[in-house]
Amino acid sequence: MKRNKEIIFGLYGDEQDLLAAVKSAKDRNLEIYDVYSPFPVHGLDPLLGLRESRLHIAGFLYGLTGALIAFLGMSWVFTRDWPIIFGGKPYWSVPAFVPIVFEVTVLLSAIGMTITFFVVSGMGFGVSNETLHDSITDDKFCLAFDKAEADEATVRQVLQESNAEQVHEKMIKA
Amino acid sequence: MNRFEFSGKLRITLLIGIGIGLLSMILTYFIGDDDLNSRFWSNFLHNSSFFTGISLMAVFFIAASVTAWAGWYVVFKRLWESFSIFLFAGLILMTILGIGNYFQWHFLYHWADDGSVAHDAVLKGKSAFLNKNWYLVGGLLIMGIWIFFRQKMRRLSIMEEKQIMGDYSIHQKLRIYSAVFLPIAGFSSAAMIWLWLMSLDAHWYSTLYAWYTASSWFVALVAMVIITLLFLKKLGYYEQVTDEHIHDLGKFLFAFSVFWAYLWFSQFMLIWYANVGEETVYFKIRKDEYSWLFYGNVVINFVVPFFALIANSFKRHKLWLVIISAVVFVGHWLDFFLMIKPGVLHTAHELIGHGIENEEVLMHHHHLPAGFGFPGLFEVGTFIGFLSLFLFLVFSSLGKAGLVSQADPYIEESLHHHV
Repeated sequence: MKRNKEIIFGLYGDEQDLLAAVKSAKDRNLEIYDVYSPFPVHGLDPLLGLRESRLHIAGFLYGLTGALIAFLGMSWVFTRDWPIIFGGKPYWSVPAFVPIVFEVTVLLSAIGMTITFFVVSGMGFGVSNETLHDSITDDKFCLAFDKAEADEATVRQVLQESNAEQVHEKMIKA
Repeated sequence: MNRFEFSGKLRITLLIGIGIGLLSMILTYFIGDDDLNSRFWSNFLHNSSFFTGISLMAVFFIAASVTAWAGWYVVFKRLWESFSIFLFAGLILMTILGIGNYFQWHFLYHWADDGSVAHDAVLKGKSAFLNKNWYLVGGLLIMGIWIFFRQKMRRLSIMEEKQIMGDYSIHQKLRIYSAVFLPIAGFSSAAMIWLWLMSLDAHWYSTLYAWYTASSWFVALVAMVIITLLFLKKLGYYEQVTDEHIHDLGKFLFAFSVFWAYLWFSQFMLIWYANVGEETVYFKIRKDEYSWLFYGNVVINFVVPFFALIANSFKRHKLWLVIISAVVFVGHWLDFFLMIKPGVLHTAHELIGHGIENEEVLMHHHHLPAGFGFPGLFEVGTFIGFLSLFLFLVFSSLGKAGLVSQADPYIEESLHHHV
């Protein structure tokens, strides 16, 4: 069930302050809505309890698919469909297939992972997500809470104690 | 514990290993060898060039990392530094081979036989480079340069410890030496590889050979660093080295195994596709007479590390990483075996007096002589001896300075390294 969310968030100028804030929120069992950062912050993922991404497993499988398609495809073309002798080599010249197998492996894993990433993150053409604050896209680190899930007084206390530069509220429409 | 104690037990174990090596070499020389002592000398060359190259790659790694402003390896940079100590042993060992060319102690190189060169247009054409003087003097000169840089960089790295915080003038010097060494190492290692190894098949050549051999050295280096580092950790040293550093070493092992495979395949495919007789001969003999090693080489050094190290969690599992490192290390030693033995055997046949036609008969109807088709007990013994000597020198050198540098500009970054 979708509902409008009332988000309360603090902005930080330094990732160390952000890490301290996340830690103190975790200590007080506050449900964190999300954390935004202009670059990957070391040590943030384990602090938030995020699992390792499984995107690379998908990448491996796409790569394997690519390798098989290229290898079996060429094998079929050069032995069954249209056998041609190149440079006196046998029809089924495996070493000559290797560069193409490699290339199709890379191609499929790259395209597959990109598409998977977009689908999993809910991104796509025409999707526009509201930003909490413009400076998040620039130089500020943001720690956000959903008022429905976290006690507002405690949240404000955490943000204040961790020296948040700014504290704002924003309604996100469902 | 910031200072490594080369304990008596470890010392004795390694000395026993060296003893096994010496015994194997003596036994090889006096029993189970042919008239030219090809088996003994090819084992000598095999191990000397393999371990000297690993040592050179250690200097190269430090120079590359310093030039790239890399920080992650700095916690255990002393280990890389001490790996370069074997260059001294390499200088002696390769000089023995160089002198041996003159006095006919060994007959490894077809181009070193004046009689053959006189009647062979190809060998004559290459004689400006492939000759005894170049082998000895060029080798001394180039290895001398390597040792000069090794010494200089090691001294600067130790001198850093005595500097006041914030004064990086010594590191600046280290940077200059490193940057100068990189191109020198690149070109000179190729020259040595041509002389020491590629010229065993004197009629054959490949432009990728030097790269391919150097990458083999590099992978062996990374594998050995992983094993010794985890061994030292087990002894209680290097507690500052975390899973993050180990993970990065695992990535290096993975990446350079792939790089090695890329070069191996590139060399093979260009020759196979071009189908020029004088070039395919190298692969023809290895594929036909050494099938197990030829295909096994690619499996051990590429397929195994590729799948065994592909996921993050595999690289962070210490025991697993040690096992794979050991497999890959032996794999690259076998790679060198395969590079060296067929050429030496061919030269021996030529010199003993079988013509090429007779050799074809010999190769197809008889087994390859002991120690040439597959490593036998003596080869394994010699390998253990050289490996023990290598580690003995490494551990001796490691004890001479504090294990963790206190003054390297990147030490803080390295201590907090996080992948």
